[in-house]
Amino acid sequence: MLRSLRCAALLGSLFLSASALAVDIDQATYGYPLTNPFEATIATTPPDLRPKLPTNDEINQSDYTLNMRPEREFSLPDNFWAVKKLTYRIAKQDRAAPLIFLIAGTGARFDSSINEYLKKLYYQAGYHVVQLSSPTSFDFISAASRFATPGITQEDAEDMYRVMQAVRAQNASLPVTDFYLTGYSLGALDAAFVSKLDETRRSFNFKKVLLLNPPVNLYTSITNLDKLVQTEVKGINNTTTFYELVLSKLTRYFQQKGYIDLNDALLYDFQNSKQHLTNEQMAMLIGTSFRFSAADIAFTSDLINRRGLIIPPKYPITEGTSLTPFLKRALQCDFDCYLTEQVIPMWRARSDGGSLLQLVDQVSLYALKDYLHDSPKIAVMHNADDVILGPGDLGFLRKTFGDRLTVYPLGGHCGNLNYRVNADAMLEFFRG
Amino acid sequence: MAKYLLLLAALMCAGVANADNSKAHEPVKVDADGFKEPLTKLKFNPGLDQREFERSSLTALNVYDPLESWNRRVYHFNYRFDQWVFLPVVDGYRYVTPSFLRTGVSNFFNNLGDVPNLLNSLLQFKGHRSLETTGRLLLNTTIGVAGLWDPATAMGLPRQSEDFGQTLGFYGVPGGAYLVLPIFGPSNLRDTTGLIVDYGAETEINFLNVSKVSENHPEIWALRAVDKRYQTSFRYGQMNSPFEYEKVRYIYTESRKLQIAE
Repeated sequence: MLRSLRCAALLGSLFLSASALAVDIDQATYGYPLTNPFEATIATTPPDLRPKLPTNDEINQSDYTLNMRPEREFSLPDNFWAVKKLTYRIAKQDRAAPLIFLIAGTGARFDSSINEYLKKLYYQAGYHVVQLSSPTSFDFISAASRFATPGITQEDAEDMYRVMQAVRAQNASLPVTDFYLTGYSLGALDAAFVSKLDETRRSFNFKKVLLLNPPVNLYTSITNLDKLVQTEVKGINNTTTFYELVLSKLTRYFQQKGYIDLNDALLYDFQNSKQHLTNEQMAMLIGTSFRFSAADIAFTSDLINRRGLIIPPKYPITEGTSLTPFLKRALQCDFDCYLTEQVIPMWRARSDGGSLLQLVDQVSLYALKDYLHDSPKIAVMHNADDVILGPGDLGFLRKTFGDRLTVYPLGGHCGNLNYRVNADAMLEFFRG
Repeated sequence: MAKYLLLLAALMCAGVANADNSKAHEPVKVDADGFKEPLTKLKFNPGLDQREFERSSLTALNVYDPLESWNRRVYHFNYRFDQWVFLPVVDGYRYVTPSFLRTGVSNFFNNLGDVPNLLNSLLQFKGHRSLETTGRLLLNTTIGVAGLWDPATAMGLPRQSEDFGQTLGFYGVPGGAYLVLPIFGPSNLRDTTGLIVDYGAETEINFLNVSKVSENHPEIWALRAVDKRYQTSFRYGQMNSPFEYEKVRYIYTESRKLQIAE
């Protein structure tokens, strides 16, 4: 008897472990054409492999503003007038429907290109869609963030939760059947924390939550991104800077083409031309874009909290004031610098001092390990060649999510989100 | 003989391998978790202490902008005008007109714009482009019924804009001071001159009698302005940065250089 029980237990655990294996998509059947992760990140999917989506004219949508932090009206300088209130975008169906929240990635606004794409995808499938800026976005920091120092994911999620409640209140008459939540990149990490918060606050009772390409260890991710501008790029010398190099390539590309044509296929076509960028150049380009996000965050946070690291606390700013000297200073600050100079001191002051390791544990997916493991409503889609991951991160996701993790073999960072196969999977998850 | 060929081939291969010293062609390593470690495909500078991003960006910020304070105020004025007047009007326009009508309006004004495009292509001796633009004008004005349709694009003659600012640039006139014009947006001394010259030329030529009629019917100008805004995808705030002014300034300056070079 005992033996058979033991046998059953063994069998059961075997079954369990078998069923908890992540879904690994095979590269041969996947059919995604870009095998280079940097190319995929920059150019994303070639236009004819994207799903067919409605145009903006066919979507009933509008932008609204929320007055989340009324005191900022007075504390922010004049030239911040446009971000004293938080703007979001909502697309409404003309009948009762489920509502999905989209959270943008690092430094991105509600109308970032991926958010716009996801909006079209889910709107077409019959959802009301609410597009939200990332807690690290310039407008969110100024208008909705209590401490205006994004990076402590728990606090960011609380700010985000209030925004979502305010959105719901502002559209109280909208008939909503269920609430869903998704986010990409850093927005996916935020979504996980928001979902956790919702378990106790219960404003939405999210039915399903999908995390797209989330960072696992936030510190690994920012280290990777900071490192991207350290690649050895050929063609840079005393007379040619990196931008000049890229622009001259672009110029030659257009000259060979005969005319300037800006469209979705441009980047893909450019990479297939003679002027294409090398891996190092592409990495530098991705790194550059993140460094500008870092500069925006560091400057805005410093200004609102009057820390005096980049801009003197009482510096008079009017609409005519040049901010270029401060941009020059902010550009020198990468994510690591922002973390050490602004996030950690604030976090230490508020939490009786902890180590960097403790902080990293608190702000990364590790903090939610048990919750994520036991919540069947949360799933992850990630790529095996995503630049924001480090060794071991996929292993963590496999252990935590089991069969709720889908690993795509290609796509870089979010480059395959607009691939037809991914689009189908993303819709299927919420449908099922 | 074959041996020599082989040796030669091997040498050439080695040459290629030496020229491309990146790690791009090394096979992908997949670890136990299935992770492909994309960063191992990059060649980093050994000390991780290069300041190329800083150097590039600081250099890029050097745009001649002596009127910066004034420009920034106009920039904020434009931002507000856009949000409170221009975009609501465009939204209303979008609401009351069917899509084919809006396309027709855009085509009509674009066809008018092909006249300065042609003149400036000619002034820069761009023979091929002048021919194509002439073809566009002929086709669109006749088959396209005074430009309401754009059959030329469908037939492989895409619209290629050339303005007098570009012509001046082609002959080596530098951009001069950066200027933010009320309503029109980013420009510089050279391109503002170009704008005035193009406007003058258009009035003189009076193509399809539009300039003449517009004198007594300001609503044509209004429609043209609304259509222009409708066709321009730029939105203030979309760069989502406290430094949008600097970014727009850089992008404007560089894209003009690119248009002139091309």
